[in-house]
Amino acid sequence: MYKRLFCSIAILSFSLSLIAQSTPAPKNTDIDPVAMAALNKMGTYLRTLGTFQVKSVQTTDDVLENGQAIQSDGVIDVVAVRPNRLRAEITSDDKHQFLLYDGKTFTIFGQLVNYYATVPAPPTIGELIDKLDQKYGIEMPLVDLFLWASSRSDSTKDITGAIDVGPSSIDGTSCEQYAFRQAGLDWQIWIQLGDYPLPRKLILTTTTDDARPRHTQVLTWNLAPSFNDAAFSFEPPDGAQKIAIAEVTEYGNDQKEPKTGSSK
Amino acid sequence: MKRSIHNLLSITLVLLLSCGPGFAQRRGGGSARTSVNQGNVNRNTNVNSNRNVNANVNRNVNVNVHHDVDVHHSYYGGGCCYHPVATAAAVTATAMVTAAVIGSMVNTLPPSCTVVMMNGLTYQQCGSTWYQPQFVGTSTTYVVVAAPR
Repeated sequence: MYKRLFCSIAILSFSLSLIAQSTPAPKNTDIDPVAMAALNKMGTYLRTLGTFQVKSVQTTDDVLENGQAIQSDGVIDVVAVRPNRLRAEITSDDKHQFLLYDGKTFTIFGQLVNYYATVPAPPTIGELIDKLDQKYGIEMPLVDLFLWASSRSDSTKDITGAIDVGPSSIDGTSCEQYAFRQAGLDWQIWIQLGDYPLPRKLILTTTTDDARPRHTQVLTWNLAPSFNDAAFSFEPPDGAQKIAIAEVTEYGNDQKEPKTGSSK
Repeated sequence: MKRSIHNLLSITLVLLLSCGPGFAQRRGGGSARTSVNQGNVNRNTNVNSNRNVNANVNRNVNVNVHHDVDVHHSYYGGGCCYHPVATAAAVTATAMVTAAVIGSMVNTLPPSCTVVMMNGLTYQQCGSTWYQPQFVGTSTTYVVVAAPR
């Protein structure tokens, strides 16, 4: 009786170990703790920044139906004052947009089309990021900088591979280059060495697409920006027309007439 | 005992096959993810966006470059079978000939549209077709609507 029980347990544990071995779970050896520590240190440092300006010179690949990747350039300039003010200017081949947040309302203004939309906004940048993402399908420009700094997010939990690549210079500044893997995404980051562990360059490679489209950002920081309060609020220029923002959640089952957010 | 292991191996294999990566390799029509922390493999629903603002259909030799506007997968009711690209192309090509389908979206307007303000909303009237501009994500899109009254 006991023998049989023992045997069953033995089979069970052996089988479990087989299952465990064949499951493609990340092995700890794929994750260099030095790289993870650098990422955490950067996040902790970003959290200490109350006010900052960061400019991203960036590229993004779009993929044509035939699988060919086409690169486009853009510049994003963000001024953030935690917890409740943010201004982002987005310049690209087909856009010149401003995203303005003053702690009460959020406005998106497309200068080329001269359209704007204003919606009520939550009281903090962190909540605004969630609302824009979930309600309007808008990714906050340079959102990673805020999410890495967010104490609530465990942003490293998805990482399945981490490598310390080595020293590398960005715009003449000494950095350390790291490479990470997670589901659907390979990414590299260059973190400034010294007392200011800021991200200085990012490359994201989307691995769910055969064309492996890339997004790159080269970041320039100003930790003592000058600005006034008017920078975060919106005064419609002459001729600008108010339009709506399509809401993601209410759009789901109705493909014909998108319900649009009240733009009052 | 051998048999048990064999069975378990089979089960494991089946589990592995069925529980493998939950997202298929996609080919074309997408865009690079632009964030590490907010990217979602399911959100690559594309809204057709022509970088070329030239609305003249006959001279327009643009390719359809798709910009991912970071729309959730629920956006088009699951994303499997609705192709805004095809709709947009059809509408763009025929807008001046026949009335466009109400509810369809285009990213560029046909030529000779007039701005009409009605009931506090902005419309673009292009021949007999009315468009309502809106932001979808950060892209400006025009939805074909019934003539406002």
